[in-house]
Amino acid sequence: MNTKRRDRVFLLMILPAFIGFLLLFIVPSLMSFGYSLTNWSVYKPNFNFVGLDNYASLFADTKNIAAIKHSITYALVITVLQNGFAILFAVLLNRKGIMANMVKSIFFLPAVLSILVVGFLFQYIMTSADYGLLNNIIQFFGGTPVNWLGNGKIALFSVLATQVWQWTGWSMVIYIANLKSIDGSLYEAAEIDGAGKLQTFRKVTLPLLYPAASFNILMSLIGGLKVFDVVFAMTKGGPGYATETIMTTLIREGFNSGRTAYASAFAVVFFVIVFALTQIITFFLNKWEERIV
Amino acid sequence: MIRTQKFKNVTFNCLYAIIGAVMLLPIYYLLVTTFKTPAEATARPLGLPTTWNFGNYIEAFTAMNYPRAFTNNLLITGIAVIILILISSMAAYVIARSNRLIFKWMFSIFMVGLIIPFQIAIIPLYKIIAGLHLMNTLPGVILIDVFCINLPLSIFLFRGFINTVPIELEEAAAIDGYGTFRTFLSIIFPLLKPIVSTVAILDALAIWNDFLTPLLFLQDPRKAVLLQEVYKNVGPFSTDWTSFFPMLVLSTLPLVIFFLIMQKSIIDGVVAGAVKG
Amino acid sequence: MKKKWLSMLLALTLVPALIAGCGNSANGGNDVSNSAEKSKDADKPVEIRIMAYNAESSRATYLKMLDEKLPNIKIVFEFVALDNFNNVLNSQLQAGQGPDIIEVGGETRLLANAGFLMDLTNESFTSKYADAGLAPYSVNGKVYATPLQSWYEGIFYNKKIFKEQGIEVPKSFDQFIQIHKDLAAKGIKPQIMGAQSWEPMMKQSIGLVNNDFYSNPDNKDFDEKFNNGEAKLSEAWLPYVENWSRMITEGILTPDMLGLSYDQALDEFATGKAAMWESGPWAVGTIMEKSPDFELGMFPIPGSEEGPGWLVGGPGSAFAVNAKTQHKAEVLQILDLTATPEAQQALIKDNAGSSFLKGVEVDLGEIYADCEEAFKAGNVYAPWTAAWVSGNPVVEGYGKSLQEVVAGVKTIKQALEDADQVNQVMRDSLK
Repeated sequence: MNTKRRDRVFLLMILPAFIGFLLLFIVPSLMSFGYSLTNWSVYKPNFNFVGLDNYASLFADTKNIAAIKHSITYALVITVLQNGFAILFAVLLNRKGIMANMVKSIFFLPAVLSILVVGFLFQYIMTSADYGLLNNIIQFFGGTPVNWLGNGKIALFSVLATQVWQWTGWSMVIYIANLKSIDGSLYEAAEIDGAGKLQTFRKVTLPLLYPAASFNILMSLIGGLKVFDVVFAMTKGGPGYATETIMTTLIREGFNSGRTAYASAFAVVFFVIVFALTQIITFFLNKWEERIV
Repeated sequence: MIRTQKFKNVTFNCLYAIIGAVMLLPIYYLLVTTFKTPAEATARPLGLPTTWNFGNYIEAFTAMNYPRAFTNNLLITGIAVIILILISSMAAYVIARSNRLIFKWMFSIFMVGLIIPFQIAIIPLYKIIAGLHLMNTLPGVILIDVFCINLPLSIFLFRGFINTVPIELEEAAAIDGYGTFRTFLSIIFPLLKPIVSTVAILDALAIWNDFLTPLLFLQDPRKAVLLQEVYKNVGPFSTDWTSFFPMLVLSTLPLVIFFLIMQKSIIDGVVAGAVKG
Repeated sequence: MKKKWLSMLLALTLVPALIAGCGNSANGGNDVSNSAEKSKDADKPVEIRIMAYNAESSRATYLKMLDEKLPNIKIVFEFVALDNFNNVLNSQLQAGQGPDIIEVGGETRLLANAGFLMDLTNESFTSKYADAGLAPYSVNGKVYATPLQSWYEGIFYNKKIFKEQGIEVPKSFDQFIQIHKDLAAKGIKPQIMGAQSWEPMMKQSIGLVNNDFYSNPDNKDFDEKFNNGEAKLSEAWLPYVENWSRMITEGILTPDMLGLSYDQALDEFATGKAAMWESGPWAVGTIMEKSPDFELGMFPIPGSEEGPGWLVGGPGSAFAVNAKTQHKAEVLQILDLTATPEAQQALIKDNAGSSFLKGVEVDLGEIYADCEEAFKAGNVYAPWTAAWVSGNPVVEGYGKSLQEVVAGVKTIKQALEDADQVNQVMRDSLK
């Protein structure tokens, strides 16, 4: 009796969130899946069922494959760089003092800026025009200017670098908190064992960073796969198709040319990719967790 | 020994100063450029402006309809965050405390939202928002910001935190004759303060900086948010970039001020969610 | 127990109440979505939504005029930049939520075929426009939009640099290439291009195709065949675009330009760092603002043989009416007013171009003196807006591939084949 009443209250407590989520997220997502099996286009009000045709033509287009590759590369590289730098600076800055605190704040600051604003700003910093700040600095130190956004081979990584700049501080503060929670006696024990600094870091610190790392890695991976705003602001997918990602291709190939059904199919493929990749990473993260427990 | 300690401190502080300066360089560049004329900005990108010209800001302020856009941003962000905290804390409490399969299922469904980008559902979403007569209204955008973008992570964070709250408190409350909802409201919710600030901060940042939702669902210029006003001035008809940069500054200034005032609780908040979650 | 239920209910009702409350305060009593209520109230003006991809500032005089002349109408001007315009418009139309008036370009025929646009053939104002301005917006003899002022692009040049270096305005494509070399030899950057966008190269190359291909009467029906999938760019256009690609092989258009945006290229041109830049009248205001003493001129893109040259352009954009508009009378009132000389002059004031309204003469001014012959000969064309069914996606595919040609990973033939492929895909999607 008592639990029954409790369950009823529970149901009422969860329903506002669940109904809204169902209506505004799950239902439209399922509808998208349904559309992906048709040939619906904005410019053609009547549509019929075409099975997996959209999926077939999607994978036949090399541009799409390239975009998927770009997104995956982007997500993996940003995950590694962002977390690598974040751990490095977390260790460096995990000290007391006004300077350390101030630099921590400076590192975090870019995270409150809008991605769009960061993208627009860096488009000017990285431009190949004569006043491009980055090239000016390189030339000041005697280097040759680089075409950061105009060279198809490096444009994707230039875009990526801005995001590392923006988000490293965010991950870093999480790692610092994790470092603070590590029991100091473990370090003393390592010192008694005669372990060097690097060895202590590898044997003691790194494994215990698991909680922060699992959260940070998954967040940057998923965020990386979904990347859109910054590409939109900086390169619009160019030059050529060099920085097209899944999201920019989906919007260009699907929505801008009115091919709703095709865009929906792309969205479904996107979901499968994100799902698969997060599953793989979670699998490895779990292995790591098992090892340290 | 003391001397080496001191030497170490100095080295570290120098290192910090260098790292900090490099990190700040883009923001410094953004700020100094806003005071320059185009010619000055191209001639000496990093130099201080010869005259501090605030005219660029006044122009940008009027061009962006700043007070109006700011109010829209504030309304959307404020209301969405309040709703998010209410509904996601309740939902997470149920998920954390009940063993019923149905709630576990609901949780799994919520978590799907963490990995699907909502953009895949835009066209059906348009139909639904239009059906609710919420097209081109702030409530429409608020609903999307709440349910399509921020709800899953909020529930995930609340659930992680509630799992660490000892259940004994609730058992004691039950003995005192508290009902389920009253227990949540008067006993559990006050304990959630750290995670409430985490969720509030994460969601506020995401919603304030969201560009795509207003772009797609708010065409009425009177309801435009700050980023839309910036975006209006990009491209072939923009005047020039020295008047564009002040817009970038103005659109993010409120958040930066908020950050500078609240930085300790913001950083603590981000951390609380991640490490306990 | 009752109390708990009560508080629960309260919490539940709180959410919608909050949402509703916010709506009211934010709208300040100006709710657009509630237009039915509005028309009941005779004193309040009717709100008409115009969705456009040209910014409000480029229509300022015109909008002010509408505001003064039509007190019964309040225009809500919704600007969405071109890179997101179709995305936003299509999603809205598909959800039955489109604006009343739509600024249309290349997609007019697609939208008309799908039944989104109102037939304007028999409206009194339609016949006031020249046929050339209506043709791009007509399907099977029915007119679906009325044109605003024309747009065109040519090569802007810095008259002062040309004078100082003794450079003449080129009359043929060979001369065009030669002056680039002459200027470069004198240490001056001849042409700057914001090639981070795929548009300028696409347009400049089509300028030569206009000269050497479309000017030939034999090719008059090419666009029709192309629409039907019977002709290919990679066959018909190939020799002309390959000829144009000397701009790339002779080192005039360089990979570093792929890192320049439109604004940045404009900046270099306006500050005298480059002698030429391809663009159109909308840029004049900004150039003069940056360098008030700039001696600006524009010449058309020259052809292989000496002649007046061609500009890229046409009826820029047009106003179409959403077939589902709730305010037909008011919308037609707006279009009727737009078809007056006064409104046309107001449009041209903020964005120079010529008018398609019969009897409206526009003095373009000193800047365009070198283009006069080309204008007189009617040498202004842009196939993708004037004739192609899926113009925008096709030229986007073409332009992006041209960027890859500059980067050295594709050939001209491949770029044209890419465009053909997009055309095929779009044709398939409409079957």
